[in-house]
Amino acid sequence: MSSHAATAPAALPSADSTASTASKALSIGVAGIVLTALGIFVSGAKTIAFSWLVGVTYWTAIAIGMLLLVMIHHIVDAGWSTVIRRQYEHGLSAFLWLAILFSPLVIASLFADKHDLIWPWMEPTHELHGGHTVAQDPLYLKKSGFLNLKAFVIGTFAFYGIWMWLSSRLRKASFSQDVDGDIKWTRMNRVTSAMGLPLTALSLTAAAIFWVKSLEYHWFSTMYGVWFFANCVRGALSVGIVIMLWLLQRGDYQGGVYNKNQLHCISTLAFAFTVFWAYVTFSQYFLIWNANVPEETFWYNLRELNHDGSTNQWWYIGLVILFGHFVVPFLLMLSYRFKTTPHIIRRIALWILAIILIDLCYNILPGMKDEHGDSLPFLSLRLLWVLTSVVGVGGVCAWAYLKSFPTTKLIPIRDPRIGECLTHHE
Amino acid sequence: MAAQPYGLIATFDKTPDVYHAAELVRDAGYRNWDVITPFPVHGLDKAMGLKRSIVPRISLVGGLTGFTTGMTMIWWTGAYDYKLVVGGKPFFSPMFAFPVSYELTILFTAFATIIGMFVVNGLPMHYHPVLKYDQIRRGMDDQFFVVIEARDPRFNAANTRALLEKAGGKNITEIEA
Repeated sequence: MSSHAATAPAALPSADSTASTASKALSIGVAGIVLTALGIFVSGAKTIAFSWLVGVTYWTAIAIGMLLLVMIHHIVDAGWSTVIRRQYEHGLSAFLWLAILFSPLVIASLFADKHDLIWPWMEPTHELHGGHTVAQDPLYLKKSGFLNLKAFVIGTFAFYGIWMWLSSRLRKASFSQDVDGDIKWTRMNRVTSAMGLPLTALSLTAAAIFWVKSLEYHWFSTMYGVWFFANCVRGALSVGIVIMLWLLQRGDYQGGVYNKNQLHCISTLAFAFTVFWAYVTFSQYFLIWNANVPEETFWYNLRELNHDGSTNQWWYIGLVILFGHFVVPFLLMLSYRFKTTPHIIRRIALWILAIILIDLCYNILPGMKDEHGDSLPFLSLRLLWVLTSVVGVGGVCAWAYLKSFPTTKLIPIRDPRIGECLTHHE
Repeated sequence: MAAQPYGLIATFDKTPDVYHAAELVRDAGYRNWDVITPFPVHGLDKAMGLKRSIVPRISLVGGLTGFTTGMTMIWWTGAYDYKLVVGGKPFFSPMFAFPVSYELTILFTAFATIIGMFVVNGLPMHYHPVLKYDQIRRGMDDQFFVVIEARDPRFNAANTRALLEKAGGKNITEIEA
């Protein structure tokens, strides 16, 4: 029988401060950022910009996933996730830093002589394969109402603005409830979530289109926003599992906070989103494969073949994604035992976090091409810069989380659903 | 009446009593026995030593059968038995066979799960010997029962009765088969 002994002492702020871990995370983050910046002198600005885009998008996706999970928790009045929700609320403090870290890409695109450092459509004189320029490209002109510099810049900062605004409302209400226990904060969170979910759904879709899909602006896929959404939530759930088990291992979650059924629930949700991701990604591939229209298939051809018909590295990466992002986690997470055994589910979660990064690489990096129009290979020095970017941005995000962590109670002790969460059962 | 009885039934008044009695019976090594409660008692499965259900395994077999059936059927019809070019596509590709295989996976999993559940839990069951016990309706209201069946290899009218008494059971009664 699960312990019903969960009482206030377990919910007090952890005595063991996270300050030293936070400063360590910040140093690692800054080191990663400096290394990436130095990479400009080794590999050039374009390579670094693409790598940086992968790094920032990766952590932004995870933060968006956390935001979505907090809002979904409130909108469906969930019980089991009350404990882990608090950690997501801490994670949301990263949005400000993510916006700051994204801005070099915007600034570089705006103020460089040529605007096509990353996104080719930003530069009217950008030459296309075949001799035309973007300015003469009817496929660009038709889309230019949406795909233009002004919309991109305003959009990007508006998206971060929306996410920061929603995050601050969610954090404020939840943290205030710890103090006075007023039910009005729960109501406020429901209102925030009711408007925040459609806002976030639209903004993350537009962000995925602007930041990632428009790298290949001829291409279109109605599934793209949904694909990004699936990765956002999978990333956040995996981070949630890792944080939950980290707190359990550290001792914070002992004394009745942790309950195996909470872990089972979050793992099951991660399992569900594994299937959802596969459904969405397969739909996109299958429809394009089946219709076999050149203006859509070229996107996958870039990721499978060189211009001479030989297979390129991205073809293998595609298979790694198929098996690593879906088949293997799907089969493993069918098992109740794997979902509820901490050291196993933690490995699965870390694996999913790694493969989301590969999925983003698969979507972003083939935007860089050689003189034949072939995608540059996956395995190259660029991969190092991707990793330094991920570590750099990740260090800053971890620091933001760890800095927020000791400012509140470990769990929302006055949330109306907290008792239900602590004694959650199957 | 010399016939073997169905088993022994003991009454308990409080949830913790029946919970601890279940632990005692479990530790005594009994296999064919049950607890009757008016409401679900969390953790009782563990106190009774019940393992997780095998239904998920039956579901998995159903799912694998469904997936294989879908893939094989489409390969058989399109690439082996009656080759037909459709839309310039290959005779067989897992790509277009996937949606159908996926749906058959779900369908067969659902069938296997539902049928597996009924087979494992023995429902529908229109009659059960404990219904002969005149106090059994209290098990739907305010009392708890532990029933140990006579077919259990460890069953012994005297020893089992002693065990139930030790566990705090009251009104220990023999149920006729």
